[in-house]
Amino acid sequence: MKVFRYLVAAAGVIALASVTVFAGTSAAHNATVAKACNASIAIEAPLTGPVAQLGLEQLAGAKAAVGAYNKADGVHVTLGQDDTQLTPALAVTKTAAIISSNAVAIVGPSGSQEVLAVGPALTTAGLAAISGSATNVTLTTNGADKTFFRVVATDGVQGPQDANYILKHEKPKAVLIIEDEEAYSTGLGGTIQQILTAAGVTVNVQSFNGQDTGATLANDLSSIVASQLNAAETVTVMPIQEAADAQQFAEDAKQAGKTTLVFGTDGTDSSSQFFFPGSLVSNFAPDIATVNSKLDKTVTKQIKAAGTYGPFGVPSYVAAAVEVNAIASVCKAGKTPSRSNVLAAIRKTNLPANANPMGQVIKFKADGDLTTSQFYLFKINASGKYIQISTK
Amino acid sequence: MQIFIQTLVNGLTTGSLYALIALGYTMVYGVLKLLNFAHGDLFMVGAFIGYFAIGWFGGPTALTIPVPLLVIIMLVIASLGVGGLGVAIERFAYRPLRNAPRIAPLITALGISFVLENAVLLFFGGLTRYYNTPAFIPFSISIHIDGVSIGIVNIIIFAGSIILMLGLTALVNRTVLGKSMRAVASDREAAEMLGINVDRTIAMTFFIGSALAGAAGVMYGLYANQVANLIGFLAGLKAFTAAVVGGIGSIPGAMIGGMFIGLCESFSLSYISTRYGDLFVFAILIAVMLVRPTGIFGQAPLQKV
Repeated sequence: MKVFRYLVAAAGVIALASVTVFAGTSAAHNATVAKACNASIAIEAPLTGPVAQLGLEQLAGAKAAVGAYNKADGVHVTLGQDDTQLTPALAVTKTAAIISSNAVAIVGPSGSQEVLAVGPALTTAGLAAISGSATNVTLTTNGADKTFFRVVATDGVQGPQDANYILKHEKPKAVLIIEDEEAYSTGLGGTIQQILTAAGVTVNVQSFNGQDTGATLANDLSSIVASQLNAAETVTVMPIQEAADAQQFAEDAKQAGKTTLVFGTDGTDSSSQFFFPGSLVSNFAPDIATVNSKLDKTVTKQIKAAGTYGPFGVPSYVAAAVEVNAIASVCKAGKTPSRSNVLAAIRKTNLPANANPMGQVIKFKADGDLTTSQFYLFKINASGKYIQISTK
Repeated sequence: MQIFIQTLVNGLTTGSLYALIALGYTMVYGVLKLLNFAHGDLFMVGAFIGYFAIGWFGGPTALTIPVPLLVIIMLVIASLGVGGLGVAIERFAYRPLRNAPRIAPLITALGISFVLENAVLLFFGGLTRYYNTPAFIPFSISIHIDGVSIGIVNIIIFAGSIILMLGLTALVNRTVLGKSMRAVASDREAAEMLGINVDRTIAMTFFIGSALAGAAGVMYGLYANQVANLIGFLAGLKAFTAAVVGGIGSIPGAMIGGMFIGLCESFSLSYISTRYGDLFVFAILIAVMLVRPTGIFGQAPLQKV
């Protein structure tokens, strides 16, 4: 009997020890798997220069997403930062550096002109790039940017929406369009011009050098007000990338005693830089800071903790989230993240509308555009706040 | 006619800014034969000081002092601050290289330029800062000529620049310091032998030139409404063009050159195209160099035989 009891006790101890050892090994194994899922991505954005506001919002969004999804997915993805100042020349240099690194994906580039400049290099390197702000239609139709994706609607949606809104609500006889000669601006301006002209509106297109700053820029806009803006042009469309320029133009027009409604596109969405009362702004992202959903509140908090909160942060958040999710899915399949398998995983992305702050399904077509997307419209009230209005 | 008047106003405003910056270039070149390429960035620092000064007194929408006093304080603080910075740069970056080959201080000047730009970036970030001038200097304060509204800011810049330039001219021509500056510019060794404190004279030249750039920075901020760490580069380049066109080393030349460049830029933007403003400015530089290499008021250096 005594021997039997000793045998049972010994079996219990052995069983207990085995469970402990196996449990520990399993935890260690899981920890090893989680630790082993290391990867790096990079963000290309204008972190300095005239549009630094946009870039810093995007950086905050990307940082917030990487932090949140690292935790949720149990992976360790690091985010490198590359400043392009929204110029193609710098974008080419930074992209070359990223291609030489071990980054498996890029958030960005921010500007359409940058994507045009670096798209072929990214395609050759097989490096996925998801932009939260490059909206020129040709980026996914020109065949040169095969690894480019975007989580926002294109100017093919924004242009007609804005033009039709102007025709329906403002009923202008003449419209002034001011472009800054960048790809984004000329593409979107051209789309709007076509629709307005077809509807019988007289369209006057003027442009200035988008690289001008300071006193030269002030002179550019003042000259356009003095020499081009006439009384019939009751709407001025500004498809440009610097919100402050829209503010400057509106102020110059007011000072000159000329009345025109300034309609800015997504590049001018910045409540700290463009706040001229009565103006309109279209953008591809909602202002989730004003929404009551739990997800939006959480994301807003995360982005604010990571840096500057603003409209450009939300798409960037989603872009980074897609990349981290893709990396995590590769790791779960037992593989080491590489550019090719992360790219393949990104192509299979299917985020439900209620699972991301953009509020729309994130699923890509073969060309890299979303399967469904929309633009939003905001009116600036007397206090300079952006109030969302119907696009109809 | 309205377009002409508006263009003239724009040209005189930007020309005044270029002239103030150009004066610093020309003064430093006069005494040291050094092209101080960091000068444009001193202008940028002045613009930032003006921005922070607005914040110290409640911000553009809630000022705690009257606006005229604010503008004067901004100009004084920026002038003194940037003047002091200019003296420090001269003391630690240029003075040790005074007897070195001329390329050495030139490259140092470029280095100082990058240091200033990136120091501002490091301490204050890359975001563009806004003076939000209309919030405290409303559009309604203006004069009207033939239907053109000329804002008080344009008038302040033009009038302020003229006063500063006249003050500088008086200082250079009628004071002991001015005489010392002219003597050092003419022959440094001889000036030293005559008992002039060359180091102090050069330091004062840097102080005055930098102070003018600082004042120009504040005026620029009031006019253009936005300041960032990279605004100094192109503004400095155009002011350098103005100094060369007017005659490098000549104070009246810098003033006339600045106005000329500002007006050419403005009229080309209005009457030719808004795309090619910079093209015309630098084309003028090339044209003047081909036709009159010493500039409008410059004098060919004397050659001893």
